[in-house]
Amino acid sequence: MASLRQPTLRLLASSNIRRVASPTIFNTTRSLATLAEGEVAQKKQPLIKKFSIYRWSPDEPTKKPQMQEYSLDLNECGPMVLDALIKIKNEMDPTLTFRRSCREGICGSCAMNIEGTNTLACLSRINRDASSTSRIYPLPHMYVVKDLVPDLTNFYKQYKSIQPYLQSKEPAPNGKEFLQSKEDRKKLDGLYECILCACCSTSCPSYWWNQEEYLGPAVLMQAYRWLADSRDGKSGQRKDMLDNSMSLYRCHTIMNCARTCPKGLNPGLAIAKIKMMMVQSA
Amino acid sequence: MASTLRSSAAARRIFAAAKPTTSAIRLLPQTRVAAFHASQRNQILPPGPQVVHGTVNDPVPVPTPSASHGSYHWAFERIIALGMIPLTVAPFAAGTANPALDAALGTALVLHSHIGFDACVTDYFPKRQYAKTRALMVWLLRASTITAAVGLFSIQTNDVGLTEAIKRFWRA
Repeated sequence: MASLRQPTLRLLASSNIRRVASPTIFNTTRSLATLAEGEVAQKKQPLIKKFSIYRWSPDEPTKKPQMQEYSLDLNECGPMVLDALIKIKNEMDPTLTFRRSCREGICGSCAMNIEGTNTLACLSRINRDASSTSRIYPLPHMYVVKDLVPDLTNFYKQYKSIQPYLQSKEPAPNGKEFLQSKEDRKKLDGLYECILCACCSTSCPSYWWNQEEYLGPAVLMQAYRWLADSRDGKSGQRKDMLDNSMSLYRCHTIMNCARTCPKGLNPGLAIAKIKMMMVQSA
Repeated sequence: MASTLRSSAAARRIFAAAKPTTSAIRLLPQTRVAAFHASQRNQILPPGPQVVHGTVNDPVPVPTPSASHGSYHWAFERIIALGMIPLTVAPFAAGTANPALDAALGTALVLHSHIGFDACVTDYFPKRQYAKTRALMVWLLRASTITAAVGLFSIQTNDVGLTEAIKRFWRA
């Protein structure tokens, strides 16, 4: 970049003079991110960080799950844990298995337990302290399909059971669509953003103990999302579905859900609001 | 596959043990790995096999609504918990122990502890896994609650009363 430090050169480099003058297929202007000719990249000292990753393969079911260590140069790797995992998979061990898709915290695929916290690998920065090993586990208390991939079958079945869609007894009053005031729409803020990554549910001790019957924070927050919707006409039935000892009332306000949510939502508050709604309607 | 299995005695035992009524499917083969372990398994109880009711696309079954176990139970629990605050403070504020207040505090205390421990039993002894232990714990809790209630009643009627008893313990 030394050549760009002089103002005149910078002006020349950023201008389109040459491109206009020679409309050839070769683009002679270079972008700022590339190195000029003869310029040598300053090699940073390698920063070797150890990652200890949970491994279990269904191909060898008799083999105990184990932690496998990988060492990575953080200066050769992206900033997020997902970057490290992808780098390990690409360059070191193609058998390492994990879910990932969007790499920007909107799909919820890469939920895992990183250094003791359920979070999305794509949203959590690698701790650059090379003296400590970064430990990565699948979401806790779930059946493991392979390595970092938990089985979310039950979680999705529970989500399906709350009927996560708009239900109305009558057609829309204007014959087209259900309108909603700005205030009513505001009630859904902090609820609809949930991406169902299951970080909160799998951090909830109550869900660990009774995950077959207790619905868990993520699903209950979505239950509240439909209870709070002014356009939904079946809140009575929705409340009935939760009116038993297990589905809703296993929440003991432990609040691990709100603490761990990678999207900064508060499922514990939503559950408290459902409990208040249930009492008011009874 | 089935015919070859049925020919062996071991397979017959497996078929006899399997409950034909359950529609549950096992997603992963249940493997008995204990024999292969060189080190001790650090868990109190082994995890149960994964059971998926119906197909993976069916919603989980919704329990029949029961307000007495759901919303009424919760409201009752909260009312007792809130009611105990003034009942605990009242003897301090009044300076003396009132038998009626004592009786109310004793009743609330017994109900509050019963509901609290009942929640623990529900949490820690799931019906589907430990049905017998669960039943034992439920009856143990009921017996303890009745014992506590009888004890408090006896303190209330034959002795100095709950608040006065606590006071004496405090000063002792």
